[in-house]
Amino acid sequence: MSKRPLRKFLIPAALLSVLFTASTTSVVAADKVIKVGGLLPISGPGSYFGVQDKQGAELAIDQLNKSGVNGYKFEVQYEDSACSPLPATQAAQRLIEQFKPDVVIGEECSDATLAIMPVMAQAKIPLLNAGSSSIKITEPGNSWTFRIMPNEVMQGVDIANNAYKRLNARNAVLLHENTNAGIGNAQVFGDTFIKDGGQVLADIGFGRDVNDFTSIATRVAGLGNVDVIPTYTLEGQGLKITQALTQAGVVKGGGGHAIQLGTIWLPFGFEQKAGKAALGYIRIVQFDPTDKRDIVRNFVQAFQARYNQDPTHLNAHAFDQIMLIADVVRRGATDAQSIRDGLAATKDFSGVTGSVEFDKNNQNIKMDTVHYMETNPDLSWTALKWN
Amino acid sequence: MLTIILQQGINGLVVGSLYVLVALGLTLIYGVLVQINFAHADIVTLGAFVAYFVTHLLSGNYFAGIAFALIVGGALGWLFNTAIFAPLLNRGNELLPLIATIGVSIMLQNAMLLMLGPVPYAFDTPYSNHVIRFGGIFFTVQSLLIIVVSTITIGLLYGFMKFTFLGKALRAVSQDRETAGLMGINPNYIIMLTFIIASALAGMSGAMLGPVLVLTPFAGTAVIVKAFAIVIIGGFGNVEGTIIAGLIVGLIESYTTQFLDPGLIDIIVFALLLLTLAVRPTGLIAERRDENV
Repeated sequence: MSKRPLRKFLIPAALLSVLFTASTTSVVAADKVIKVGGLLPISGPGSYFGVQDKQGAELAIDQLNKSGVNGYKFEVQYEDSACSPLPATQAAQRLIEQFKPDVVIGEECSDATLAIMPVMAQAKIPLLNAGSSSIKITEPGNSWTFRIMPNEVMQGVDIANNAYKRLNARNAVLLHENTNAGIGNAQVFGDTFIKDGGQVLADIGFGRDVNDFTSIATRVAGLGNVDVIPTYTLEGQGLKITQALTQAGVVKGGGGHAIQLGTIWLPFGFEQKAGKAALGYIRIVQFDPTDKRDIVRNFVQAFQARYNQDPTHLNAHAFDQIMLIADVVRRGATDAQSIRDGLAATKDFSGVTGSVEFDKNNQNIKMDTVHYMETNPDLSWTALKWN
Repeated sequence: MLTIILQQGINGLVVGSLYVLVALGLTLIYGVLVQINFAHADIVTLGAFVAYFVTHLLSGNYFAGIAFALIVGGALGWLFNTAIFAPLLNRGNELLPLIATIGVSIMLQNAMLLMLGPVPYAFDTPYSNHVIRFGGIFFTVQSLLIIVVSTITIGLLYGFMKFTFLGKALRAVSQDRETAGLMGINPNYIIMLTFIIASALAGMSGAMLGPVLVLTPFAGTAVIVKAFAIVIIGGFGNVEGTIIAGLIVGLIESYTTQFLDPGLIDIIVFALLLLTLAVRPTGLIAERRDENV
């Protein structure tokens, strides 16, 4: 059972919930303002994204609004896009009609991001994405959408190569939710792993309504010698899968041999919830809290001072999204069109998650935003420094 | 392969038992009131959270958590019936209570979201990670507990319905409310009792499901759709049918996962539902009602 004291968890949870009811950060009326829309999942299974994104974005906005950027201050308004296409589209339309943003950050889930992209393009408002991995998001022709994290191909190829070459894995089982991102990530891993010489023993997809993963773990256990299990799910299901694989004796936490591989979908704190089941889990995080750069240390310090907790990669990438917008404004952008053009011209932005340089499809090409972490027996991390 | 078939059978029975616990409350309310309670899922969620917090507060006493969830569920059922459902039912409009259950559902979900936040809770009981292995088979003590508690609950409910005066009165009201009233049974009292029992069952099933579910304020909605399907397949209002259908759905889930694809589970379950409606609209076991006696 989790040892976290009840009060320590309940109070922040209640406070965060209350905070979401106040959706607009106000600025002094006389300032020139850059309006930033936030399309974040605040309800549903991906709502932890929204909670943490908002913290990071608010911290950045507060820092920027102390002195402004080129005479501009920043105002943000959030809408609940629920990690799902229909509510995301409705939220996007609401945001555009009522708030009239100059730039929008979000969504986290690929299906939702893909749904809001045409809405943003039609309104000619740049969409700056940090958490969606589907390759479709930065395919040619999506000139109003930018992504600062590596896409599923960049991540999938990298994880598969590392699994084969560094972990000497030869047999893999793919576990993923049946969404654009889940299927896409698993497919890229599988294709690369097979090309490297590995074998995919099973490709198991499931809906987001699945709760009990004992049957899936039983199937994996019956496949014999499994070396790695790349897993693409949100936190809740990820937790249940890891525990079920442990109970089935498949992964290291349960005395097995297989190593689970994960992505940035999982928030910080996952290991503490999973307990010893997380032992040996290797996953990508978009932010390395052990990074010694000044920008990271300052961010960690400011975050701890404001929220009395350690920042997560979701906090960090939302912080970077706002800081990148500020960087573009610093370079002279004043409205939606010039922000889009400024984002496209970004070459050497350095954020807390890593650096940003967009290619012609508005995809960040820098791989230093991919940080591999391995879970130790005491549930702390070892940074693997593979990139 | 035999070991895997046996293992998946155990997995299916565990999940099926959980579905049965959730579906029993639904079928009881439908049996007596011919109403669907959309707030049932949220009482399940509330039960899970009550069990979570009580278990934590009492240093891991999960059984106290189950007991509290049962009591809170029952109390909520009484409150819901007294304050909302019964007054609306007395107006003679069947639609109003139905809409009220939707309202209560939304209210409970949002209240829990406000108080507990959206981030999933990790509800591990002292039995969740205690794995028993023999002959290639594995199960947790928690799974064993689910089977035991479900069996006892089903047995007690069955005994109550078959052998006690109140149980017989409840069945009488479910078959013909007016005639039961003429025989000296107070239908309003029976309706209240039904709500309390069904909600207590929902609370307790939440306590059993909590360690299995991805525990958020929306957790109950993940199982309620399947519970509805089970109630329809089993025969609306029929306890025996609900038990059989719940276990069948659990087994379908585990064997589909093993031999086909987990993505096909819902397709197969709801195909079975459609087949049942087409071939045997009364469900696996038809409940006798006033219109068909």
